[in-house]
Amino acid sequence: MSVNSLREYLDLLDTTGWLRTFDQPVSWDLEASAATMLANIRDGPIPVFESIAGLETESKLVGDPYRGPQTRPWNHFARALGLPAGLSGRAYYDRVIDRLNAPQAPRTVASNEAPCKETVQTGNGVDLLSFPWPYIHEGDGGRYSNHHTIVAPDPDTEWGTWSSHRMMIHDSSRASLLLLAGEQVPNRYYYDYEPRGEPMPVAVVIGSEPTVECTADMWIPTGRSEAAFAGGLKNAPVDLVQCETNDLYVPATAELVLEGHVRPDDRLDEGPFGDYFGYMNGPRRSMPVFEVDAITHRNEPRIPFCVEGSGVGYGQNSTSTLRLVAAGPDATVGLRAAGFDVAMAVPWRFTSRTVWVIATDRPYPGYLHELANFIFTTWGMLHIDFFVFVDAAVDPLDPRAVLTAIALEADPDADFHQFGVERMPKVPLNIYQTPDEKGSADVGTSKAKTAKAYIDATTDGDAAEMAATPETRKRAQERLVEAGLTAARFDRPDEREEQSQ
Amino acid sequence: MIPFTQYVRGLAGDDDLVRLDGPFEVPVDVLAAEALRASGPALRFQRSAGSDLVSGVFSGPDQTQQREARPWSRLSLGLGLDPEATLVELLETISTLGPVGENPEPTYTGQAASGTDIDAQDLQFPQGETDTWPAVTLGVASVSTADGTHWAPVHGSVVGGDTLRVRVPDPLSSLVGEGTTMAIALGVPPAAITTAYLLAVTEQTATPIQSCGVAGTIPLVPTNGGLVPSATEVVMETTVVDRQPDFRSDRREGWEYVVESGPLSLSVERVRTTENPVIPISPVGRPLADGTRLTGLATAAALYHRLNNYWGISPVEWIMLPAEAELGICFVASDVLYGGFEWQLANILFSFSSLFDTVVIVDEDVPPEDFGRVLADIWLKSHPARDWTFSEPDAPAATRPHYRRDNATGSRLYVNAAWDPRWKETYIAPRVTFENSFPNDVRDVARVLWDELATAPGETTANESSD
Repeated sequence: MSVNSLREYLDLLDTTGWLRTFDQPVSWDLEASAATMLANIRDGPIPVFESIAGLETESKLVGDPYRGPQTRPWNHFARALGLPAGLSGRAYYDRVIDRLNAPQAPRTVASNEAPCKETVQTGNGVDLLSFPWPYIHEGDGGRYSNHHTIVAPDPDTEWGTWSSHRMMIHDSSRASLLLLAGEQVPNRYYYDYEPRGEPMPVAVVIGSEPTVECTADMWIPTGRSEAAFAGGLKNAPVDLVQCETNDLYVPATAELVLEGHVRPDDRLDEGPFGDYFGYMNGPRRSMPVFEVDAITHRNEPRIPFCVEGSGVGYGQNSTSTLRLVAAGPDATVGLRAAGFDVAMAVPWRFTSRTVWVIATDRPYPGYLHELANFIFTTWGMLHIDFFVFVDAAVDPLDPRAVLTAIALEADPDADFHQFGVERMPKVPLNIYQTPDEKGSADVGTSKAKTAKAYIDATTDGDAAEMAATPETRKRAQERLVEAGLTAARFDRPDEREEQSQ
Repeated sequence: MIPFTQYVRGLAGDDDLVRLDGPFEVPVDVLAAEALRASGPALRFQRSAGSDLVSGVFSGPDQTQQREARPWSRLSLGLGLDPEATLVELLETISTLGPVGENPEPTYTGQAASGTDIDAQDLQFPQGETDTWPAVTLGVASVSTADGTHWAPVHGSVVGGDTLRVRVPDPLSSLVGEGTTMAIALGVPPAAITTAYLLAVTEQTATPIQSCGVAGTIPLVPTNGGLVPSATEVVMETTVVDRQPDFRSDRREGWEYVVESGPLSLSVERVRTTENPVIPISPVGRPLADGTRLTGLATAAALYHRLNNYWGISPVEWIMLPAEAELGICFVASDVLYGGFEWQLANILFSFSSLFDTVVIVDEDVPPEDFGRVLADIWLKSHPARDWTFSEPDAPAATRPHYRRDNATGSRLYVNAAWDPRWKETYIAPRVTFENSFPNDVRDVARVLWDELATAPGETTANESSD
């Protein structure tokens, strides 16, 4: 059975030895994030900071709660979904894809049944600064909430649309939201509400249950509800409750909910911030203003945060893991639904929002071009620069196998394809454009356009690398485990075979 | 000089070698390959019949996963360096084994191996699931000419008790005729096999080892072939009986992609072994095979040496041809001296090696042991339109990749994942790291928090359980 809340998930981690609670006071001012980054680098336990130095608060900070083990990043999330421990990556993807193919509508609950309403602050009682928002990296423009789900109105769905945009805290009731045009919620603001001079109601949901948390990075077709996919993933309906000050519904088991609105024609500074590229990026920009109307929360709320930038290279953090364990299976489902014969779509482990690897057959000439064109004009438009296509038999969760495919199969003469050279939009968070090229366009994309590329690292029919039969490999692995090698290091070809059959 | 058996004992002493006791129902090469895939330790196959075998001794962990050990740590140990040696220290050490300006004075000692009445089949070389014959890998062929002794890597099959069919680099093949005696040495000191690979990948097999640095470091002994290291586990003294047998293994060792090779049929005249011989094997054709790793390191050493002696200064920090990319991509970290230097750097690498069509340039401050950062910077720092640069489509195809085996010409590619030297300093985005993102006092607080925990009973910060 899947867990119902962040706290149930943390309890689950605790039973496996992957949670570490710090009782001594730790400051929100860099200390909590520094300790979290060490854990992210060392593949250590998930830290919970029970006592916040210098602040009288019952809130607790949780550093990168969804980061998975480096060898098997999906392990914790599989537990949260009630799946068996020790699944291979491919088997995990298959199970999650099955669930995503069976969405479940959410269930509404009354306010008095919603844990997130245990405390309600409205009017003058609202005080954002009473919570320990972390200052995450030295050089950031301010304190941030960056591990949350933003709920915004959507005329096509009953439950609104969910996404994630980092938020810099300014004072007791205001924050700036990084809204980059091209994504659904920013588009709703820039091209609908703001031209009409209307505030856009928004709820920022902090510490949602795991299947809600992961939908922010998922590609949900227009007209479909993230809440239903979260329910499918959970294999049970997600409980929603209506906000106190607007018509939006929010996950009832959340730790903390900020209700408010994004004001038209108003901007506050935002950034710089050490975001998912692993580099500090700027310049400081003007971004829309989120004004808080009400705060509701559970008693002793757990406030998760992500040390962005530490999920690049070998390191993992919450967002890099959630992309791998949820956005990947979701993209696979989406591409199949669009008619593409895709085995798996997986973010590249070392920079999960810039490159994706897609294992696929090539049923007809021009197929990869069509596939790339489809992705680059939909969910891969702003953030993703590269796609690598490999044979369906190549495991895209194995970076060595992918690297080998690129090295041996991708002919620079024929297999590297650039799309829309100097014609494609790009988020200004990138580090390969100069500040002049990024500019300061109000809607958030870079002034200068860029390009996208895909690499065809598929073979022409012959296997990229020689391997023994799955049965022989399985016997070899069993023999090696008997001799003392760590079982978790093996990719379990037998299980993959069974699943794919 | 470290003899092979001492090297194997050293690996075991470092808990980097696991012993498996026979019999083996699973082919030994599959066990070896699976251990390498899993970044496992080297393996010793203890057998009641035939010689003991060891695998993985010249390879190492998969760099696409974060590991404490480096993929070159084992070879570093074998060459007398600290296992913690940097990649560059290893590359420089490898270079010293090759041709030198003045002839070192070789040392001659008695042979560790002694005559036996066994034949080649009695050694029971491993046979893969689909192999017709048992395979000989990681061997050193030694022949003598008027100039001296020549070493080269050898890969072949045992087709009978007294018959081997092997492939050797063409430069060695050209030195022998039918009737020439050739020694096949197995289980040589790591320095010796590294030298053989270095000479092969630089096409200097014709240079006698008496003119190489290795001659001053390894005691040698004459055989009915050429000189071999005196501390060699198995020496097969053979005679060339056919210079053009119809022989090509389905699988190639790494060096066979660098240099043209030719087949030889050898008659085994005598087998000398130590009392309990140990023979290294490589799962040829499988990921991260020992021969692939050795070839990558030897080639990188040669390229590093040539590049840093080319411009009068030494801008290149390191070069790597990772086994993880099957030698098909060359990664180089360099100071990009001026705008356009990256073009010069990539194209000179294409001039010096035919293995790869793709070069990736990263900044000089990227350490080679942080390959994860390399695998991120390729995509993060390079502009998809401007920094992926393709040549005119009239270059010959590289030897390692699978494409364009029909001799068609095409483009080469270099990816510039280094900062543009023409950029203002303020354009350079600082990296998010533990050191950059937190002041000293905060870092100390964080370390104390975890270090206190690290000493707590039953706790660990490095989890690898399958839970």
